[in-house]
Amino acid sequence: MKGTQLGEFEELVLLVVGVLFPEAYGLSIREEIINQTKRSVAIGAVHSALSRLEEKGFLQSDLAEGTHERGGRRKRIFSITASGKRALEKNHEMRNSLFNQIPEMALKTIKLSGY
Amino acid sequence: MAIKTPYSPPKTAVKLLSLICKRSLFEEIEGDLYEYYQAEREEKSKLKSDLNYWYHMLNFLRPFALKKFGQNSNAIIMYRSYLKFAWRGMLRQKLQTSFHLLGLIVAFSICGFIYLHLKFERSFDSFFDNSEDIYRVAWMSDNPQTRTPHPMAQALVNDFPEVIDAVSLSPIYGPGLTKTTIPLKNEKKNIAFNEPNGYFVDSTFFDVFSFKVIAGNADKALREPYAIILSQSTAERYFGNEEAVGQRLSFSGMTDMLEVAAVIEDAPVNTHFHYNFLISYVTLKSLQFNDPWMSWDDFGHFNYLKLAHNTDAKQFEAKIPDWASKYLDWTQENLTALKNGDLKFELQPLEDIHLHSNIRWELENNGSASYLLIYGLSALFILLISIINFVNLNTAKAAQRLKEVGVKKTLGAYKSQVFSQFTFEALLTTFLALGLSFLAMFLFENSFNQLVNGHIDVSDLFQADLIVFLISVSVITAFLSAIYPSLYLNSFEAGQILKGLKLSKLGGANIRNGLLTVQLIAAIVMISGSIVIKNQITFLKEKDLGFKQDNLLVVDIDGWDPNTLLIKNKMLKNSSISEIAAVSNIPGGQFNQHPLYLENNPSTTIDASEMFVDDDVAAVLALKLAAGRMLNKAFSADSAGTSFVLNQSAIEALNVQNPIGKTLVWVDNENLVKGVIVGVVEDFHYRSLHEPIRPMIMAMQPNNLNYALIKVSPNDLSKTIAQIETDYKELFPDSEFHYQFLDDEIASLYQEESRTLTLVTLLSGISILLACGGLFGIISIVIRQRVKEISIRKIMGASAAQILWLMNLKYLLIAGLAILVAVPLSIFFMKDWLGNFTYQIGISPVAYIITAVGVIVLIGLTISMISMKTVKSNPAKALRAE
Repeated sequence: MKGTQLGEFEELVLLVVGVLFPEAYGLSIREEIINQTKRSVAIGAVHSALSRLEEKGFLQSDLAEGTHERGGRRKRIFSITASGKRALEKNHEMRNSLFNQIPEMALKTIKLSGY
Repeated sequence: MAIKTPYSPPKTAVKLLSLICKRSLFEEIEGDLYEYYQAEREEKSKLKSDLNYWYHMLNFLRPFALKKFGQNSNAIIMYRSYLKFAWRGMLRQKLQTSFHLLGLIVAFSICGFIYLHLKFERSFDSFFDNSEDIYRVAWMSDNPQTRTPHPMAQALVNDFPEVIDAVSLSPIYGPGLTKTTIPLKNEKKNIAFNEPNGYFVDSTFFDVFSFKVIAGNADKALREPYAIILSQSTAERYFGNEEAVGQRLSFSGMTDMLEVAAVIEDAPVNTHFHYNFLISYVTLKSLQFNDPWMSWDDFGHFNYLKLAHNTDAKQFEAKIPDWASKYLDWTQENLTALKNGDLKFELQPLEDIHLHSNIRWELENNGSASYLLIYGLSALFILLISIINFVNLNTAKAAQRLKEVGVKKTLGAYKSQVFSQFTFEALLTTFLALGLSFLAMFLFENSFNQLVNGHIDVSDLFQADLIVFLISVSVITAFLSAIYPSLYLNSFEAGQILKGLKLSKLGGANIRNGLLTVQLIAAIVMISGSIVIKNQITFLKEKDLGFKQDNLLVVDIDGWDPNTLLIKNKMLKNSSISEIAAVSNIPGGQFNQHPLYLENNPSTTIDASEMFVDDDVAAVLALKLAAGRMLNKAFSADSAGTSFVLNQSAIEALNVQNPIGKTLVWVDNENLVKGVIVGVVEDFHYRSLHEPIRPMIMAMQPNNLNYALIKVSPNDLSKTIAQIETDYKELFPDSEFHYQFLDDEIASLYQEESRTLTLVTLLSGISILLACGGLFGIISIVIRQRVKEISIRKIMGASAAQILWLMNLKYLLIAGLAILVAVPLSIFFMKDWLGNFTYQIGISPVAYIITAVGVIVLIGLTISMISMKTVKSNPAKALRAE
């Protein structure tokens, strides 16, 4: 089904939303990604992924009260929906199963070729 | 804990975000950015945080965050309909549209061209590092010159802390101080040229002039004797692709004398001197060259200074006289003149040399700011005329769109929307014209360069300042042309219009006529100006110079002295050659000068240009003798160089009666040459007509002859020249044969004038065509409004002539007014321009009468041509049509 596939970055964002529950919003998600994966991410990129995920129904969001450090502006708190959870599980299972199907030898060659 | 005042993020970025970001996302996005900014500011500088803020804000320019400007947005639909209206309108009036476009394209292209040309001409020498701090020391006397003494440069550096660097240089001059060529040769490959543009330079050359070194060590090259620096293209000519540095060149027959020590970039076009090779003064001095040329007495070198940044050059200049008195071994009288400013060392800013310096011994022919002013004004005039056309025609057309506006307003259009529609349409035309004019400029780039001997590159147009200028002109033009029609049409009630309001009169006539007057003024100034320029140039070309310049071939004869007779006799066997003379300098060229005085009256010392000649010069140049005789080598004093012939100006300056037989002392540097005046020639223009005739002395010095002047018969020229070349090659197998015609050489003195004439004639032609075209457009609209009036007049018995007179009268009055304003303006400009010439034809009233009559006739014809159709038609038809 079109639109329900998870992109790599989307998956990352979805996972981080889960990790940060219940305090996941744009900026905190970006910081967490930077901390955990050491890749540099623009705020816009995170928001773009969040809005796609919400469109696909993997995330839901609510506006929380504004705080002082935001100059009184409200923030949008994201949380994973049931279908979001299913999509994550599906991805996880698929990876595990694919990984397990790799014969021992292949992995060894990979290691050997590292010399 | 006290709450800190928050930092506020860059306002523009926030504003921009709010403009483009979706409403629903704005608050959280802005909040995130705000919070992010607070954290950034805690750690980083304001600038860095601001930049980061901008970076992240711009990162939101992604589809998900942007407001939707879809197919169904109001603005899009509206502008699409404007586009449709504009397009249909343009197609409906093809003639008018193409006239609009053409006029604007021509004006924009001309402006672009002239802008680039001006920019290039003004860019001379500005590419050097610290070019604004570099000055040339010029010598200002009653015959100012660029050259000053060699020791001056280093003495200035030593004595003044504000002089950071200085360099003394000199072109390698031949005898008689004409620029000469030096035979250089690569012996290994047997490649030889007579190399022009050689310079002696101080070791500090590269401290002042930041030319790039391509290979070798240029600084070292200038400190060691027998080293030569080549320009890149010169190096390629002698050594091809081989490494030039380290190879040897023969210099003027001295085998392998010089080692190529460095190769430097070619001087770009926009510099006031160009070199093929440089040799250090060190080399010269090591040759035991103990010449007075290197002393404080000889004003024979080009000295350039680099001053400390922000030094006031004028103040510094004022210190020079006192300082120089220490060094100059001069009479008290001359030192006084130096101190009171009659004689002066002047600092010429390097960047001004090309456009503002035109004194003796310029290294190359410089440009002239006064011509650039003419070019610039012409371009602006054409732009003005063209803009006025566009505005005028658009306002005149307004009445035709009454119904359209009525319907629009009935359907609910705001006044501002009517305005924006008109603006949109005008913008469409001006921008279309702008785009097409870039195309036109690319097409005509070469033709323009040929016309003005320019070096413009149209791709240089894409620089911010010009683009901004042209776009602003387009936008302003469009606005101006839209304001009036929309104001005018908005002033009517929609209902009234639809009920059948008839405009009895076309509004805005006063504005239009005022603008028309301005146009005509511009056109008349240009036309009359070009007539004055033409008169002056014809005058220069036809003025009797006091010698014959036709059919004279000038052949370079480097050092042919012992062979003079030989070659003369050989060549004279050719029946198409009637006479030959050998001279040091040719008319139109540069002349060296030294002081001279009568032995019995040393207090009247004058500077005189010198020309070394042989027996036949008077015959070849057809010089007229005023008294005495010409030089003749049959007299031993003549061939010894102690007989002199002066020109009349010299005699007048010396203030002497009966000069023949008087003893003259000629100060050739440290040598005092004593001799007798044997003859006086009538004044002839040995320099260009930009200068007055100055004193001249002629003498015989067979070692100093540079050119043969060969009088040839005009028939079968190519055969004659070929024969001369064969003879020449036989006697000088190693020299290149080089010839030119004297009249071409003299015409080249007025190249700048000829080019200006061509350009100004072209531009003034364009200006009057555009002005008449605009008039044509307006009249055809006006006349449509007056068809009824004309018909009634006809029925009442008016003759065709009466009606034509009626139509013409107002515009002829406007033309009259324009002439009244334009003529004094033009006279003012042209007087100023003519001031550049010593010999002026003056401003003839005929030029203005021709212009005035021409303009009036042209306007009368334009108007009558359009009116005729209406006048001739059946009045009943016009009246019946309702």
